[in-house]
Amino acid sequence: MFYRLSGTYHTSYQADRKLWKIPTDRWLVIALLVLAALAPLYVSPLYLGSYVLPWVIWSAAALSLTLLMGLAGQLHFGFAAVMAIGAYASIHLVRAGVPFELALLLSGLIAAVIGTVFGGAALRVKGLYLVMATLAMQYLVDWVVVNVPAISGGAHATLRTPDVGFLFLPIDSLASRYWLALGWAVALTVFFMNVKRTSFGRALVAIRDKDFAAAVIGVDPFRTKLTAFATSSFMGGVTGAILAFCFYRAVTPEQFGFNVSIQLVAMVLVGGLGSVIGSWLGAGFVLLAPIFLTNLVSGLAAGGWVPVSQNFLSHLPLMIYGAMIIGFLLLEPLGLAKIYDNIRKYFLVWPFRHARS
Amino acid sequence: MTFLRKLALTTALVAGLSASAMAEDVKFGLLQDFTAVYTFVTGQYNQGQQDYLALANAEGILGDGNTVTAIVRDTGNQPQRGIEAYNRAKEEGAILFDFLSTPVSAAILDQASADKNIVITPAHGRGDASDGTVFPYVFPMMPTYWAQAAALIEYMKETGGLEGKKIAIVHIDSPFGREPGPILDALAKQEGFEFQAFPYASPGNEQAAAWSEVRRYRPDYVLIWGAGGGQAVSVRTAIQNGIRPEQIHSVIWLAETDAANVGPQMKGVKRFEATAAGTDHPIIQRIQEKVITPGKGSGDQANVGNSYYNLGVATMAVAVEAARLGLEGGQPLTGDTLKAGFEKISGFDAEGLMPPVTYTAEDHQGGGAGRVSEWDGEKWVPVSDWKAAYPDLIRTVIEESAAKYKEGN
Repeated sequence: MFYRLSGTYHTSYQADRKLWKIPTDRWLVIALLVLAALAPLYVSPLYLGSYVLPWVIWSAAALSLTLLMGLAGQLHFGFAAVMAIGAYASIHLVRAGVPFELALLLSGLIAAVIGTVFGGAALRVKGLYLVMATLAMQYLVDWVVVNVPAISGGAHATLRTPDVGFLFLPIDSLASRYWLALGWAVALTVFFMNVKRTSFGRALVAIRDKDFAAAVIGVDPFRTKLTAFATSSFMGGVTGAILAFCFYRAVTPEQFGFNVSIQLVAMVLVGGLGSVIGSWLGAGFVLLAPIFLTNLVSGLAAGGWVPVSQNFLSHLPLMIYGAMIIGFLLLEPLGLAKIYDNIRKYFLVWPFRHARS
Repeated sequence: MTFLRKLALTTALVAGLSASAMAEDVKFGLLQDFTAVYTFVTGQYNQGQQDYLALANAEGILGDGNTVTAIVRDTGNQPQRGIEAYNRAKEEGAILFDFLSTPVSAAILDQASADKNIVITPAHGRGDASDGTVFPYVFPMMPTYWAQAAALIEYMKETGGLEGKKIAIVHIDSPFGREPGPILDALAKQEGFEFQAFPYASPGNEQAAAWSEVRRYRPDYVLIWGAGGGQAVSVRTAIQNGIRPEQIHSVIWLAETDAANVGPQMKGVKRFEATAAGTDHPIIQRIQEKVITPGKGSGDQANVGNSYYNLGVATMAVAVEAARLGLEGGQPLTGDTLKAGFEKISGFDAEGLMPPVTYTAEDHQGGGAGRVSEWDGEKWVPVSDWKAAYPDLIRTVIEESAAKYKEGN
């Protein structure tokens, strides 16, 4: 119905290699992009600043993590620490007088170097053991941040971000902060979609599926795994810096704690491992569902519909949220991305029943 | 849902308007952590706050038909959820906020000050926010952690002397746990005692390693600086390591629940308190009579009179008093008039529930007076009088730290 394929012919290799081969997909993406870019014009500051902006930034974080977990198959349970490195590095660099644009790049590089060092564990261990190694990274980075006042910013461990500009655009208003974050998230999205089609992306997938089989066909596991950690940590580091400068504007160690790492893993899993749209949907779900549920339940309570104590009232959204995660994963173990894919495929061949792929 | 809420709001507004053209509904945003880290205190604390607001409305404390409403939301101690809750409550018209969470307060402090909204940070948050010249819209309103440490040290000085004594400070390994550090440094020089810090890893369910070190140190006094479940573990492990309960002195976060968890060994342990515990106070009595008995209480009756419940009551008693003073003269209540209201408060003691507090444009801590109380096996019994310890030293530390904040930290 919507995704009409008849009349769509790919007569050149170029046409067949497009990112969005079906016109409807293409138009949908363009429409979404225009809507997103114009969001500051029609979304109220409350929703822009508290919902859309964090969603965009956390989607970028989920994309960074899913490159490692989804494409390369290397589990990482300390990704918030990677973002913390990026955030703290960028603030200290800007304070030292480095231009913001350069500080973003450098903070990504610093995160990449440290992330790769810990990623070295992946050369020896896999699966749950790698989870332990990355958890160690989380706790080590946390400990260093809290215990080195020069990093955390002294007694109260709060560092405020200095005023900065990005390519002559001052990053102070909500709209400019949103545009910078959106630009970064879109860049990551395009990068991610393209990396899947490069030899590097295929090497990652080969490593994920069986690393010694990949070695047999000529993929160097040593280089590929470390590059995967470096790329993903670079993306995560810059995202951490964006999070600090565009959203929080005051950095504290708690913003990058272990629970944030778990949230990021949840985003990637609920959204669908290794999927672009899954990262966006997963980040939106994990980040915003608790907020929506809390407001919904509080609204019902204010209307006298839920006569329970404040304590229970606060836990009710968590129960619903937990049930929703289990529900979604039971319904479709491959995540929200697969649910979207099913819907899309249904319309692809409608009114017939089965899509080919 | 929104429709229902709007309908209710409109009806309330229309009804309110017809009753009194000037009546105002003051909104406080109590956006706290009910589900993550601060659960040990939030439930009772928030219950006290809501019950006091109900009492204030029942008694018409604000006068002229003015009422006060709480907007209560869970933030789960997550800064991004706190930001959302803050922005939403701001749109609903809240002018005073209490987050009872250090990370959430830290994330919102600058924004709230730019919006000219009051943030109260009783017993949590930055101590240097007591400097009203640097933080005009933030009110710590009660003794900061620095003042608490000083009060406990002064109590030790009065009960057993400090010259040549050894103090062990056993704290959670976090910025909060490190708060007393600078005060102890300064006082050790001044009073001639020595001290050593023994950190344990968060959340503090297991502290055996730290306490066996303490045992070797053979301290005369022990300061415990943690919160939540870790506190009961501290007391229990201390006693296992041969520390007598009388030697243990705690930060404000030690309450009835912890005593129940420790058991009979707890007798003799001391803590700092900023508000009195128990139900034997006029305000708590009136809450019993006018809010709890008619069934309008916001939680479990058994909590009424608990330490944290009374702490919540005291915070709202001060805030409502500030709102009352801010409304004097008939101008509408905004962040600025509420701030002025706070700074008019002088010698207010919530009918004996707390020490008399006076806020000025410079001092948003309200003097920093508190006292020490001891667990007698059933309840907390005060063992010293309300007073501020080493106020000059505390003020110096506050001003130094606030000056650093001004420079950009």
